[in-house]
Amino acid sequence: MELGTIEREIYIEASPEIVFAVVSSPDHLRRWWPDDARYEPAPGSAGEIVFGDRDADGTVVSFTVVDARPPRTFSFRWTHPAGEVAVEGNSLLVTFDLTPSGGGTLLKMTETGFREMGWEAALLEQQYREHVTGWDFYLPRLAPYVATLQVRS
Amino acid sequence: MSTAAAETVDDDLWSAIGDPTRRRMLDLLLIEGAGTATTLSRHLPVTRQAVAKHLGVLDRAGLVRATPAGREKRYRVEEAQLTRAVAQLASVGSAWDARLQRIKRIAEAIQRAQQD
Repeated sequence: MELGTIEREIYIEASPEIVFAVVSSPDHLRRWWPDDARYEPAPGSAGEIVFGDRDADGTVVSFTVVDARPPRTFSFRWTHPAGEVAVEGNSLLVTFDLTPSGGGTLLKMTETGFREMGWEAALLEQQYREHVTGWDFYLPRLAPYVATLQVRS
Repeated sequence: MSTAAAETVDDDLWSAIGDPTRRRMLDLLLIEGAGTATTLSRHLPVTRQAVAKHLGVLDRAGLVRATPAGREKRYRVEEAQLTRAVAQLASVGSAWDARLQRIKRIAEAIQRAQQD
């Protein structure tokens, strides 16, 4: 394994269609990563993700969709300089591969490009690691809870 | 230390450890305690000259330290620097661990909501 690559695998008890939507749609992305996300989940679509408040001291980061084949693959490049086309060498490439497994989905994530990008990219990544808010944690639990309340009433 | 200087050092560190031959060399040095370009090249499919060049890169990144040994230099791994490189890479990995846990929670909540 290249040390400039990060690989992770996680089993999710949800259909590949649902997992695909969660990893690819801007609305869902906002719930597990940046504070804001603007792009079309289609190959070649260039957009941006925002950490913090866009109009205050937030950070706007370029985001370009590379591949979107529901419900199997979604990949994007990020961290390229604004206005530049995302290519190998100026951005990090994140790939999600989804495989049906049991009743759920095996989600494999690969992030490459650190070797080409150098250390600053890794530091940038580190900066975003603590993007965990209370809502990210509680909202997913709230939905099923609300559902049980509706059944009772 | 200025931020710019720190980033330069870190860039060197990253590219030093990013090469498979150099990682193999670090492994050999860790196993054997120390080595020269000659002793390392016996275990590697590259020439002594190439090994010496790789050792120079590792040295500049602070990952190995050289002491004179006759006509050659004897190298040892600078473990504090190696640990630092590994820790920084691990922190990027843990960022993804947290993101994937959130992806899992969100997807499973949607799945459960659809089944209810």
